[in-house]
Amino acid sequence: MIHGLRRTETLIPLLSITIVLALFAVTAAVTGRQISLFDGFNTLQGLAQLGFLALPLGLTMIAGEFDVSVVGVSALGGMVAVQLGQQDPLLGVAIAVLVGMAVGCLQGVIIARFRLSSMPVTIATYIALLGLTSVMSGGLTVTYTNIDASLFVDTPVLGLFSPRSLIIIALFVLVAIVLGTTRLGPELRAIGDDRRASRVSGVPVDRRLVGLFATSGAIAALGGALLSFSYSSANPNPGIQPLVLAAVAALIGGISLSGGRGSAIGLFVGAISVAMLSQIVIFAALPGYVTQLIFATFLAFVVLADAPGLRTRFSVAAARIRSRRHVDAATSPIES
Amino acid sequence: MSRTITRTATILAVLALLAVCATTPQFFTINNAKAILASASIVGLAALGATFIMIVGSVVSLATAQTMAVIAMVFLSAQSLGLVPAIALALLAGALILGLQGALVGFWSANPVVLSIAVAFALTGIATMVSGGTTVYPPADHFTVLNALPFGIPLSVLVFLVAAVVAELVLRRTVRGQQIYLVGENRAAARAAGLPVPSITIFAWVVGGILIAIGALFLASFNATATINLGGTLTFDVIAAVLIGGTAISGGRGSALRTVGGTLAIAIIADVLLLRGFSPGAQLLVKGLLVLVFVVVVHVRSNRGTR
Repeated sequence: MIHGLRRTETLIPLLSITIVLALFAVTAAVTGRQISLFDGFNTLQGLAQLGFLALPLGLTMIAGEFDVSVVGVSALGGMVAVQLGQQDPLLGVAIAVLVGMAVGCLQGVIIARFRLSSMPVTIATYIALLGLTSVMSGGLTVTYTNIDASLFVDTPVLGLFSPRSLIIIALFVLVAIVLGTTRLGPELRAIGDDRRASRVSGVPVDRRLVGLFATSGAIAALGGALLSFSYSSANPNPGIQPLVLAAVAALIGGISLSGGRGSAIGLFVGAISVAMLSQIVIFAALPGYVTQLIFATFLAFVVLADAPGLRTRFSVAAARIRSRRHVDAATSPIES
Repeated sequence: MSRTITRTATILAVLALLAVCATTPQFFTINNAKAILASASIVGLAALGATFIMIVGSVVSLATAQTMAVIAMVFLSAQSLGLVPAIALALLAGALILGLQGALVGFWSANPVVLSIAVAFALTGIATMVSGGTTVYPPADHFTVLNALPFGIPLSVLVFLVAAVVAELVLRRTVRGQQIYLVGENRAAARAAGLPVPSITIFAWVVGGILIAIGALFLASFNATATINLGGTLTFDVIAAVLIGGTAISGGRGSALRTVGGTLAIAIIADVLLLRGFSPGAQLLVKGLLVLVFVVVVHVRSNRGTR
């Protein structure tokens, strides 16, 4: 059982990155366009946008939660950083991260204290935060006038990276190291797998949940702040699409919606797959709906690979075939 | 004890709301009441559908906005067939789109939330492919009948109220309705008791699909044209209405009338904030905080000790 789970956990991200890379090669061959370093740069820029949502959302999903509010916190982070960081960008980013952490902390306390499911709580926060950013900006997009900071976050580094993509890659590495080398990794999965059992066996579940949502809020707010700098403006309502893409990244990164499964590396592979897929569509000048259909197919596979009912059905069928073979083997000598 | 707390909190909330309403000029006018009901009816119809899905244990659909937009597109482009065939086609589309998801959830225990995200992508992709990304204009205008005002009340409001009563009767007074609660409360136990869990799940989703389709009919008629973005913020408006009504996100608890209450509460609060000159942002902020408070108050009891 554990073996099977572990296999799905690595199989899904491996499969998705392979498919995406193959798609990239095929489109390059069909369109006859050379893949350049710039395509890699753009993919990583896409990762910088997506990763700051996929990482926090994925982490909460490993613990069996689902933080819808990441898009709201990201919008708030962008708004705070733009409004308070006109002169001093670092100050703006710092305050944005603190605000995001505070919002996450508050949600974590509510979820842990009342033992609530995180989805309704974070949906409520999401709605409230969109309202808050809208109140802060009067419902309008706010322009960021510090051009130096805007240019800096997207400066190409070694032709492939930018400060923004380097920060999110560093965050992924940091999270992977922390989850891989400390007890936090196993604890997080235990909380997602069986909350009661992990509580009984001494995991400080409530404290971990508060920490988890605070981390989630901080990362999402940082991403929002950097994105607003990059756009030179803060949008009070980024819409729901970024959240959905982040969820797709987490799911094809091998994280299960029911919790207890997944790793930071898988999450990274999932995020880069989604970023690359969007880049393929731009690269090959495909109509936008193709992306939608590809995502739908990917998710359908993930859902079916994950469906417990289908898995039981398969194992029942496999067992039946196996037993029939046994019967055949046992009866054939008698017949002959 | 927590039940008393819940009840007291609900009564206090209603009283506070009434006090705010009473002190808001022009709140208690017939025109205003009509405006509230008209704005609530479309969200309300979809929320009734979502109630079935939540009670049967399938959490929420994150594809409500796209589903309604696609049904609206189907309804408007089928206008040349005449009103009744167009309505039938729209309801069929709703029943099919959600029934299919219900089948996957019911037979294979597929995760309904991920499934609905996939459906949202698929619907957006297919609709954009078929329509070429352009606005759908109806070839005939039979749909204007749905914008009628019998007795001065919008038809959508009457349909919403009738649908709420029917939905409540189905949930409370039919065997199927009771089975929906049982499956939502404890799927494994329902299966062990010999209930046909897949067909009960599919039934709940199909009813949900038809209710969402009825909402989409009025959405299409009010707007007279449709694009894939017609649904706007409906996905979360619907979830907010169901949750404020106090239906448990974990399934097995809730009712159609509670959802009517939740829908009206949101509409009334939005209306009060509008009359008092609050910005749309402030309205969203209050709505979000309100959902948060209700989720905490109402769900504390249903979730305690289960996790």
